[in-house]
Amino acid sequence: MSQKRYILVIDSRKCINCKACIVACRAENRVPLGHSRDRINEERRGSFPVLLATFEPEQCHHCENPSCVRVCPTGASHRRDDGIVLVTDDTCIGCRYCMVSCPYNARFFREDRGVVEKCSLCSHRLDRGELPACVQTCPSKVRACGDIADPESEVSRLLDKREYRVKNPQTGNAPQIYYLL
Amino acid sequence: MPHIEWGFLIVNYLFLGGLSAGLFFVSAFALYLQQKDPAYERLARYSALLAPWPVALGSSLLILDLGNWYRFYVLFLHFRWQSPMSIGSWLLVLFTGITLVYLWSWLPQDHRTGLLRRLKLPPSLNRELSHLRPLLAAIGFPFSIGVAIYTGVLLGAVQARPFWNTNLVAQMFLFSALSSGCAVLILVLSLRPKLLEPAQIRFLYMLDIFLITLEFFIVLPYLIHGQLSVQAVRDSLELILGGPFTVAFWLLFLGLGLLLPLLIEIFETVPALFSKAEIHHNRRLAVLNAALVLFGGYMLRYIFVYAGQISAFR
Repeated sequence: MSQKRYILVIDSRKCINCKACIVACRAENRVPLGHSRDRINEERRGSFPVLLATFEPEQCHHCENPSCVRVCPTGASHRRDDGIVLVTDDTCIGCRYCMVSCPYNARFFREDRGVVEKCSLCSHRLDRGELPACVQTCPSKVRACGDIADPESEVSRLLDKREYRVKNPQTGNAPQIYYLL
Repeated sequence: MPHIEWGFLIVNYLFLGGLSAGLFFVSAFALYLQQKDPAYERLARYSALLAPWPVALGSSLLILDLGNWYRFYVLFLHFRWQSPMSIGSWLLVLFTGITLVYLWSWLPQDHRTGLLRRLKLPPSLNRELSHLRPLLAAIGFPFSIGVAIYTGVLLGAVQARPFWNTNLVAQMFLFSALSSGCAVLILVLSLRPKLLEPAQIRFLYMLDIFLITLEFFIVLPYLIHGQLSVQAVRDSLELILGGPFTVAFWLLFLGLGLLLPLLIEIFETVPALFSKAEIHHNRRLAVLNAALVLFGGYMLRYIFVYAGQISAFR
Protein backbone atom coordinates (compact mmCIF):
# COMPACT_ATOMS: atom_id res chain seq x y z
CA MET A 1 0.00 0.00 0.00
CA SER A 2 1.33 3.42 -0.91
CA GLN A 3 2.00 6.16 1.63
CA LYS A 4 -1.09 8.12 2.70
CA ARG A 5 -1.09 11.93 2.38
CA TYR A 6 -3.84 13.64 4.32
CA ILE A 7 -5.23 16.98 3.18
CA LEU A 8 -8.25 19.11 4.01
CA VAL A 9 -10.63 20.45 1.37
CA ILE A 10 -12.93 23.30 2.37
CA ASP A 11 -15.94 24.63 0.47
CA SER A 12 -16.23 28.02 2.18
CA ARG A 13 -19.41 28.97 0.35
CA LYS A 14 -21.33 26.33 2.27
CA CYS A 15 -20.17 27.64 5.64
CA ILE A 16 -22.94 29.19 7.73
CA ASN A 17 -20.69 30.28 10.63
CA CYS A 18 -22.42 27.97 13.12
CA LYS A 19 -19.05 27.22 14.80
CA ALA A 20 -19.95 23.58 15.41
CA CYS A 21 -16.44 22.66 14.17
CA ILE A 22 -14.87 24.76 16.92
CA VAL A 23 -17.09 23.21 19.59
CA ALA A 24 -16.50 19.68 18.31
CA CYS A 25 -12.75 20.26 18.27
CA ARG A 26 -12.82 21.67 21.78
CA ALA A 27 -14.70 18.61 23.03
CA GLU A 28 -12.59 16.08 21.13
CA ASN A 29 -9.20 17.55 21.96
CA ARG A 30 -9.98 19.16 25.35
CA VAL A 31 -8.95 22.58 24.07
CA PRO A 32 -8.96 25.07 26.97
CA LEU A 33 -11.47 27.90 26.92
CA GLY A 34 -10.06 31.10 25.50
CA HIS A 35 -8.20 29.25 22.76
CA SER A 36 -9.26 27.21 19.78
CA ARG A 37 -7.46 25.10 17.26
CA ASP A 38 -9.71 26.18 14.40
CA ARG A 39 -11.48 29.42 13.60
CA ILE A 40 -13.84 30.99 11.08
CA ASN A 41 -12.63 34.16 9.39
CA GLU A 42 -15.54 36.49 8.77
CA GLU A 43 -15.54 39.19 6.17
CA ARG A 44 -18.39 41.63 5.56
CA ARG A 45 -18.48 43.94 2.58
CA GLY A 46 -20.77 46.60 1.20
CA SER A 47 -23.64 48.47 2.80
CA PHE A 48 -27.36 47.80 2.92
CA PRO A 49 -28.97 46.59 0.72
CA VAL A 50 -25.93 45.40 -1.26
CA LEU A 51 -24.14 43.19 1.23
CA LEU A 52 -21.78 40.28 1.18
CA ALA A 53 -20.69 38.18 4.14
CA THR A 54 -18.14 35.42 3.67
CA PHE A 55 -17.10 32.78 6.19
CA GLU A 56 -13.82 30.98 5.76
CA PRO A 57 -12.88 28.20 8.16
CA GLU A 58 -9.17 28.04 8.90
CA GLN A 59 -6.80 25.99 11.04
CA CYS A 60 -3.32 24.54 10.69
CA HIS A 61 -2.64 24.10 6.97
CA HIS A 62 -0.42 21.06 7.56
CA CYS A 63 2.06 22.55 5.12
CA GLU A 64 4.22 20.35 2.97
CA ASN A 65 7.15 22.66 3.72
CA PRO A 66 6.23 23.88 7.20
CA SER A 67 8.22 26.85 8.54
CA CYS A 68 7.25 25.89 12.12
CA VAL A 69 9.02 22.56 11.76
CA ARG A 70 12.09 24.17 10.23
CA VAL A 71 12.60 26.70 13.02
CA CYS A 72 11.78 24.39 15.96
CA PRO A 73 15.04 24.09 17.95
CA THR A 74 14.17 20.77 19.60
CA GLY A 75 12.27 18.90 16.90
CA ALA A 76 9.04 18.98 18.95
CA SER A 77 7.26 20.35 15.88
CA HIS A 78 7.45 17.64 13.27
CA ARG A 79 5.70 16.40 10.16
CA ARG A 80 4.58 12.81 9.91
CA ASP A 81 5.05 10.81 6.70
CA ASP A 82 1.31 11.11 6.05
CA GLY A 83 1.64 14.92 6.02
CA ILE A 84 0.20 15.71 9.46
CA VAL A 85 2.16 18.39 11.33
CA LEU A 86 2.23 17.79 15.08
CA VAL A 87 3.82 19.12 18.26
CA THR A 88 5.26 16.65 20.75
CA ASP A 89 4.33 17.94 24.19
CA ASP A 90 7.28 16.41 26.02
CA THR A 91 9.99 18.10 23.98
CA CYS A 92 8.27 21.46 23.45
CA ILE A 93 10.12 24.01 25.58
CA GLY A 94 7.62 26.80 24.88
CA CYS A 95 9.97 29.15 23.02
CA ARG A 96 7.09 30.05 20.64
CA TYR A 97 9.43 30.47 17.65
CA CYS A 98 6.97 28.29 15.67
CA MET A 99 4.12 30.68 16.49
CA VAL A 100 6.14 33.64 15.30
CA SER A 101 7.05 31.72 12.12
CA CYS A 102 3.59 30.47 11.19
CA PRO A 103 2.16 32.57 8.34
CA TYR A 104 -1.37 31.42 9.23
CA ASN A 105 -1.33 32.11 12.98
CA ALA A 106 -2.55 28.57 13.42
CA ARG A 107 -0.90 27.95 16.78
CA PHE A 108 -1.53 29.09 20.32
CA PHE A 109 0.42 29.02 23.56
CA ARG A 110 -1.06 26.96 26.35
CA GLU A 111 -0.21 28.90 29.46
CA ASP A 112 -1.27 26.13 31.85
CA ARG A 113 1.22 23.64 30.39
CA GLY A 114 3.77 26.02 28.90
CA VAL A 115 3.63 24.40 25.48
CA VAL A 116 2.42 25.30 22.00
CA GLU A 117 -0.69 23.59 20.68
CA LYS A 118 -2.36 23.36 17.29
CA CYS A 119 -4.72 21.37 15.09
CA SER A 120 -3.57 17.76 14.85
CA LEU A 121 -6.05 16.98 12.07
CA CYS A 122 -7.34 14.57 14.76
CA SER A 123 -4.50 12.22 13.89
CA HIS A 124 -5.69 9.85 16.62
CA ARG A 125 -9.06 9.55 14.84
CA LEU A 126 -7.55 9.27 11.37
CA ASP A 127 -5.30 6.47 12.63
CA ARG A 128 -8.44 4.61 13.71
CA GLY A 129 -10.03 5.17 10.31
CA GLU A 130 -12.37 7.92 11.53
CA LEU A 131 -12.74 11.48 10.26
CA PRO A 132 -11.47 14.52 12.21
CA ALA A 133 -14.05 15.89 14.66
CA CYS A 134 -14.56 19.13 12.72
CA VAL A 135 -15.20 17.24 9.47
CA GLN A 136 -17.49 14.72 11.12
CA THR A 137 -19.60 17.35 12.85
CA CYS A 138 -19.99 20.02 10.15
CA PRO A 139 -23.75 20.23 9.46
CA SER A 140 -23.43 21.88 6.04
CA LYS A 141 -20.70 19.54 4.78
CA VAL A 142 -18.13 22.30 4.27
CA ARG A 143 -15.20 20.06 4.99
CA ALA A 144 -13.65 16.98 3.46
CA CYS A 145 -10.55 15.25 4.77
CA GLY A 146 -8.80 12.37 3.10
CA ASP A 147 -5.85 10.87 1.30
CA ILE A 148 -4.73 12.84 -1.77
CA ALA A 149 -2.47 9.94 -2.76
CA ASP A 150 -5.55 7.80 -3.33
CA PRO A 151 -7.20 8.88 -6.63
CA GLU A 152 -10.52 7.37 -5.53
CA SER A 153 -10.76 9.37 -2.30
CA GLU A 154 -13.36 12.10 -1.86
CA VAL A 155 -10.72 14.84 -1.66
CA SER A 156 -9.02 13.67 -4.87
CA ARG A 157 -12.31 13.61 -6.73
CA LEU A 158 -13.24 17.09 -5.44
CA LEU A 159 -9.92 18.57 -6.52
CA ASP A 160 -10.19 16.83 -9.90
CA LYS A 161 -13.48 18.41 -10.83
CA ARG A 162 -13.45 21.76 -8.95
CA GLU A 163 -11.26 24.83 -9.11
CA TYR A 164 -9.45 25.61 -5.87
CA ARG A 165 -6.93 27.92 -4.23
CA VAL A 166 -4.56 27.78 -1.27
CA LYS A 167 -3.90 30.71 1.07
CA ASN A 168 -0.71 32.78 0.75
CA PRO A 169 1.29 30.30 -1.35
CA GLN A 170 3.98 33.01 -1.67
CA THR A 171 5.33 32.11 1.76
CA GLY A 172 6.68 28.93 0.20
CA ASN A 173 5.08 26.75 2.88
CA ALA A 174 3.00 24.70 0.40
CA PRO A 175 -0.16 24.74 2.56
CA GLN A 176 -2.44 21.71 2.37
CA ILE A 177 -5.87 23.22 3.00
CA TYR A 178 -7.54 23.53 -0.38
CA TYR A 179 -10.35 26.07 -0.64
CA LEU A 180 -12.84 25.26 -3.39
CA LEU A 181 -13.87 28.20 -5.55
CA MET B 1 -4.62 39.72 14.06
CA PRO B 2 -1.23 38.33 14.98
CA HIS B 3 -0.49 38.12 18.65
CA ILE B 4 2.70 39.46 20.24
CA GLU B 5 4.44 36.34 21.52
CA TRP B 6 7.94 37.69 22.03
CA GLY B 7 7.99 40.62 24.42
CA PHE B 8 10.46 42.64 26.43
CA LEU B 9 12.41 39.66 27.74
CA ILE B 10 13.38 38.86 24.15
CA VAL B 11 14.15 42.53 23.38
CA ASN B 12 16.43 42.68 26.43
CA TYR B 13 18.07 39.41 25.54
CA LEU B 14 18.80 40.44 21.94
CA PHE B 15 20.29 43.68 23.24
CA LEU B 16 22.40 42.07 25.97
CA GLY B 17 23.66 39.27 23.73
CA GLY B 18 24.76 41.86 21.19
CA LEU B 19 26.39 43.95 23.91
CA SER B 20 28.63 41.08 25.01
CA ALA B 21 29.52 40.33 21.42
CA GLY B 22 30.49 43.98 20.96
CA LEU B 23 32.60 44.03 24.13
CA PHE B 24 34.47 40.90 23.14
CA PHE B 25 34.99 42.27 19.65
CA VAL B 26 36.54 45.47 21.03
CA SER B 27 38.67 43.48 23.46
CA ALA B 28 40.04 41.22 20.74
CA PHE B 29 40.68 44.24 18.51
CA ALA B 30 42.45 46.15 21.30
CA LEU B 31 44.53 43.08 22.16
CA TYR B 32 45.72 42.98 18.57
CA LEU B 33 46.63 46.68 18.64
CA GLN B 34 48.38 46.23 21.94
CA GLN B 35 51.30 44.58 20.11
CA LYS B 36 52.21 48.00 18.73
CA ASP B 37 50.99 50.24 21.53
CA PRO B 38 50.84 48.87 25.10
CA ALA B 39 48.31 51.60 26.00
CA TYR B 40 45.61 49.43 24.45
CA GLU B 41 46.04 46.79 27.13
CA ARG B 42 43.73 48.61 29.53
CA LEU B 43 41.00 48.74 26.91
CA ALA B 44 41.37 45.04 26.18
CA ARG B 45 41.31 44.26 29.89
CA TYR B 46 38.21 46.28 30.73
CA SER B 47 36.21 44.92 27.83
CA ALA B 48 37.33 41.38 28.69
CA LEU B 49 36.19 41.83 32.29
CA LEU B 50 32.80 43.17 31.18
CA ALA B 51 32.08 40.84 28.27
CA PRO B 52 30.61 37.70 29.93
CA TRP B 53 27.98 39.38 32.09
CA PRO B 54 25.46 40.84 29.65
CA VAL B 55 25.24 37.61 27.65
CA ALA B 56 24.90 35.55 30.84
CA LEU B 57 22.06 37.78 32.03
CA GLY B 58 20.49 37.79 28.56
CA SER B 59 20.58 33.99 28.32
CA SER B 60 18.89 33.75 31.71
CA LEU B 61 16.12 36.05 30.46
CA LEU B 62 15.81 33.86 27.38
CA ILE B 63 15.35 30.77 29.55
CA LEU B 64 12.80 32.60 31.72
CA ASP B 65 10.83 33.46 28.60
CA LEU B 66 10.33 29.77 27.79
CA GLY B 67 6.96 28.22 28.57
CA ASN B 68 8.79 25.42 30.37
CA TRP B 69 12.02 27.05 31.52
CA TYR B 70 13.26 23.89 33.26
CA ARG B 71 13.19 22.10 29.89
CA PHE B 72 15.82 24.43 28.40
CA TYR B 73 18.35 21.57 28.47
CA VAL B 74 16.34 19.92 25.66
CA LEU B 75 17.90 22.56 23.40
CA PHE B 76 21.25 20.89 23.96
CA LEU B 77 20.05 17.37 23.24
CA HIS B 78 19.50 18.41 19.63
CA PHE B 79 21.33 20.25 16.92
CA ARG B 80 19.08 21.37 14.12
CA TRP B 81 21.04 23.32 11.54
CA GLN B 82 17.91 24.71 9.87
CA SER B 83 16.69 26.31 13.09
CA PRO B 84 18.39 29.63 13.85
CA MET B 85 17.41 29.19 17.48
CA SER B 86 19.15 25.84 17.71
CA ILE B 87 22.34 27.20 16.13
CA GLY B 88 22.04 30.29 18.32
CA SER B 89 21.70 28.47 21.61
CA TRP B 90 24.84 26.45 20.88
CA LEU B 91 26.66 29.63 19.83
CA LEU B 92 25.54 31.37 23.03
CA VAL B 93 26.80 28.62 25.31
CA LEU B 94 30.14 28.29 23.55
CA PHE B 95 30.58 32.07 23.38
CA THR B 96 29.75 32.54 27.07
CA GLY B 97 32.23 29.79 27.96
CA ILE B 98 34.97 31.43 25.91
CA THR B 99 34.31 34.88 27.40
CA LEU B 100 34.58 33.38 30.91
CA VAL B 101 37.91 31.66 30.20
CA TYR B 102 39.10 34.83 28.50
CA LEU B 103 38.11 36.85 31.57
CA TRP B 104 40.03 34.37 33.74
CA SER B 105 43.12 34.96 31.61
CA TRP B 106 42.94 38.68 32.44
CA LEU B 107 42.63 38.27 36.22
CA PRO B 108 45.75 38.91 38.27
CA GLN B 109 47.12 36.10 40.48
CA ASP B 110 45.75 37.41 43.80
CA HIS B 111 42.26 37.95 42.39
CA ARG B 112 42.21 34.40 41.10
CA THR B 113 43.32 33.02 44.46
CA GLY B 114 40.68 35.03 46.32
CA LEU B 115 37.94 34.01 43.89
CA LEU B 116 38.80 30.30 44.09
CA ARG B 117 38.85 30.44 47.86
CA ARG B 118 35.50 32.16 48.01
CA LEU B 119 33.90 29.73 45.55
CA LYS B 120 35.53 26.80 47.46
CA LEU B 121 37.14 25.50 44.29
CA PRO B 122 40.44 23.59 44.25
CA PRO B 123 43.46 25.95 44.14
CA SER B 124 44.92 23.82 41.34
CA LEU B 125 42.64 25.76 38.96
CA ASN B 126 44.75 28.83 39.65
CA ARG B 127 46.69 28.81 36.39
CA GLU B 128 48.35 31.72 34.65
CA LEU B 129 46.58 31.92 31.30
CA SER B 130 47.77 35.33 30.17
CA HIS B 131 49.91 33.76 27.43
CA LEU B 132 46.69 32.23 26.02
CA ARG B 133 44.95 35.60 25.61
CA PRO B 134 45.70 35.97 21.87
CA LEU B 135 44.57 32.39 21.24
CA LEU B 136 41.35 32.84 23.22
CA ALA B 137 40.68 36.15 21.49
CA ALA B 138 41.21 34.52 18.10
CA ILE B 139 38.85 31.64 18.94
CA GLY B 140 36.26 33.92 20.51
CA PHE B 141 36.33 36.53 17.76
CA PRO B 142 34.27 34.54 15.20
CA PHE B 143 31.93 33.48 18.00
CA SER B 144 31.32 37.10 19.01
CA ILE B 145 30.53 38.03 15.40
CA GLY B 146 28.38 34.90 15.18
CA VAL B 147 26.36 35.78 18.29
CA ALA B 148 25.82 39.34 17.06
CA ILE B 149 24.72 38.17 13.61
CA TYR B 150 22.57 35.36 14.95
CA THR B 151 20.38 37.73 16.97
CA GLY B 152 19.38 39.27 13.64
CA VAL B 153 19.16 35.96 11.77
CA LEU B 154 16.72 34.70 14.41
CA LEU B 155 14.29 37.32 13.12
CA GLY B 156 15.47 37.55 9.50
CA ALA B 157 14.97 33.84 8.79
CA VAL B 158 11.22 33.99 9.36
CA GLN B 159 9.47 34.08 5.97
CA ALA B 160 6.07 34.64 7.55
CA ARG B 161 7.03 38.12 8.79
CA PRO B 162 7.79 40.43 5.84
CA PHE B 163 9.21 43.12 8.14
CA TRP B 164 12.03 40.76 9.20
CA ASN B 165 12.59 38.61 6.19
CA THR B 166 15.81 40.14 4.83
CA ASN B 167 19.47 39.59 5.55
CA LEU B 168 19.81 43.32 6.20
CA VAL B 169 18.32 42.79 9.67
CA ALA B 170 21.23 40.57 10.62
CA GLN B 171 23.75 43.14 9.39
CA MET B 172 21.94 45.96 11.17
CA PHE B 173 21.98 44.00 14.42
CA LEU B 174 25.65 43.10 13.95
CA PHE B 175 26.89 46.69 13.59
CA SER B 176 24.51 47.92 16.25
CA ALA B 177 25.85 45.25 18.64
CA LEU B 178 29.50 46.12 18.00
CA SER B 179 28.71 49.80 18.34
CA SER B 180 26.96 49.26 21.68
CA GLY B 181 30.07 47.41 22.90
CA CYS B 182 32.13 50.52 22.06
CA ALA B 183 29.56 52.68 23.84
CA VAL B 184 29.82 50.73 27.09
CA LEU B 185 33.59 51.23 27.08
CA ILE B 186 33.26 54.93 26.32
CA LEU B 187 30.85 55.13 29.24
CA VAL B 188 33.13 53.25 31.65
CA LEU B 189 36.24 55.20 30.68
CA SER B 190 34.44 58.55 30.89
CA LEU B 191 32.86 57.85 34.26
CA ARG B 192 36.25 57.05 35.78
CA PRO B 193 38.51 59.84 34.53
CA LYS B 194 41.66 58.47 36.11
CA LEU B 195 41.48 55.57 33.69
CA LEU B 196 41.34 57.92 30.80
CA GLU B 197 43.89 58.06 28.05
CA PRO B 198 43.05 60.23 25.04
CA ALA B 199 44.36 57.62 22.61
CA GLN B 200 41.85 55.05 23.84
CA ILE B 201 38.88 57.38 23.65
CA ARG B 202 40.02 58.40 20.21
CA PHE B 203 40.25 54.78 19.13
CA LEU B 204 36.75 54.04 20.47
CA TYR B 205 35.27 57.11 18.81
CA MET B 206 36.87 56.30 15.46
CA LEU B 207 35.73 52.67 15.65
CA ASP B 208 32.22 53.73 16.63
CA ILE B 209 31.98 56.30 13.83
CA PHE B 210 32.93 53.53 11.44
CA LEU B 211 30.34 51.11 12.88
CA ILE B 212 27.50 53.64 13.10
CA THR B 213 28.15 54.75 9.53
CA LEU B 214 27.95 51.14 8.37
CA GLU B 215 24.75 50.67 10.33
CA PHE B 216 23.25 53.79 8.80
CA PHE B 217 24.07 52.58 5.32
CA ILE B 218 22.24 49.36 6.07
CA VAL B 219 19.16 51.05 7.53
CA LEU B 220 18.94 53.19 4.39
CA PRO B 221 18.92 50.28 1.91
CA TYR B 222 16.56 48.40 4.24
CA LEU B 223 14.02 51.18 3.69
CA ILE B 224 14.72 51.67 -0.01
CA HIS B 225 14.83 47.98 -0.84
CA GLY B 226 11.67 47.41 1.18
CA GLN B 227 9.87 50.09 -0.81
CA LEU B 228 10.98 48.42 -4.06
CA SER B 229 9.97 44.98 -2.85
CA VAL B 230 6.72 43.00 -3.05
CA GLN B 231 3.47 44.36 -1.64
CA ALA B 232 3.65 42.46 1.65
CA VAL B 233 7.04 44.05 2.47
CA ARG B 234 5.82 47.50 1.45
CA ASP B 235 2.78 47.03 3.68
CA SER B 236 4.95 45.96 6.59
CA LEU B 237 7.16 49.04 6.20
CA GLU B 238 4.06 51.15 6.80
CA LEU B 239 4.52 50.20 10.46
CA ILE B 240 7.55 52.54 10.60
CA LEU B 241 6.75 54.89 7.73
CA GLY B 242 3.28 55.85 8.89
CA GLY B 243 2.14 53.58 11.68
CA PRO B 244 2.53 52.77 15.35
CA PHE B 245 6.35 52.67 15.24
CA THR B 246 7.03 55.79 13.18
CA VAL B 247 8.10 58.01 16.09
CA ALA B 248 10.09 55.20 17.70
CA PHE B 249 11.93 54.51 14.46
CA TRP B 250 12.64 57.98 13.08
CA LEU B 251 13.02 60.02 16.26
CA LEU B 252 14.13 57.61 18.96
CA PHE B 253 16.20 55.14 16.93
CA LEU B 254 17.41 56.92 13.81
CA GLY B 255 17.57 60.45 15.24
CA LEU B 256 18.56 60.16 18.88
CA GLY B 257 20.09 56.70 18.78
CA LEU B 258 22.09 56.78 15.56
CA LEU B 259 22.59 60.14 13.87
CA LEU B 260 22.98 62.32 16.98
CA PRO B 261 25.75 60.13 18.46
CA LEU B 262 27.38 60.04 15.03
CA LEU B 263 27.39 63.85 14.96
CA ILE B 264 28.74 64.06 18.52
CA GLU B 265 31.51 61.60 17.73
CA ILE B 266 32.46 63.39 14.52
CA PHE B 267 32.45 66.74 16.33
CA GLU B 268 34.67 65.33 19.07
CA THR B 269 37.20 63.74 16.72
CA VAL B 270 37.41 66.46 14.05
CA PRO B 271 40.59 68.08 15.47
CA ALA B 272 42.34 64.72 15.46
CA LEU B 273 41.23 63.97 11.93
CA PHE B 274 42.84 66.95 10.24
CA SER B 275 45.88 67.57 12.40
CA LYS B 276 47.90 65.88 15.07
CA ALA B 277 45.84 67.64 17.74
CA GLU B 278 44.07 65.71 20.45
CA ILE B 279 40.35 65.08 20.28
CA HIS B 280 38.07 67.42 22.25
CA HIS B 281 36.91 64.81 24.68
CA ASN B 282 34.27 66.50 26.68
CA ARG B 283 33.45 63.92 29.37
CA ARG B 284 29.80 64.85 29.73
CA LEU B 285 29.34 64.72 26.01
CA ALA B 286 31.01 61.32 25.95
CA VAL B 287 28.66 59.97 28.62
CA LEU B 288 25.65 61.39 26.78
CA ASN B 289 26.93 59.96 23.51
CA ALA B 290 27.41 56.48 24.97
CA ALA B 291 23.98 56.55 26.57
CA LEU B 292 22.41 57.56 23.25
CA VAL B 293 24.16 54.75 21.37
CA LEU B 294 22.94 52.19 23.91
CA PHE B 295 19.45 53.66 23.83
CA GLY B 296 19.45 53.47 20.02
CA GLY B 297 20.57 49.84 20.07
CA TYR B 298 17.79 49.00 22.48
CA MET B 299 15.18 50.86 20.43
CA LEU B 300 16.29 49.07 17.26
CA ARG B 301 15.61 45.71 18.87
CA TYR B 302 12.37 46.87 20.43
CA ILE B 303 11.06 48.14 17.10
CA PHE B 304 12.06 45.03 15.19
CA VAL B 305 10.77 42.51 17.71
CA TYR B 306 7.39 44.19 18.06
CA ALA B 307 6.75 45.56 14.56
CA GLY B 308 7.94 42.31 13.00
CA GLN B 309 5.41 40.22 14.84
CA ILE B 310 2.59 42.49 13.72
CA SER B 311 3.62 42.27 10.07
CA ALA B 312 2.09 39.42 8.08
CA PHE B 313 0.94 38.31 4.66
CA ARG B 314 -2.64 39.41 4.11
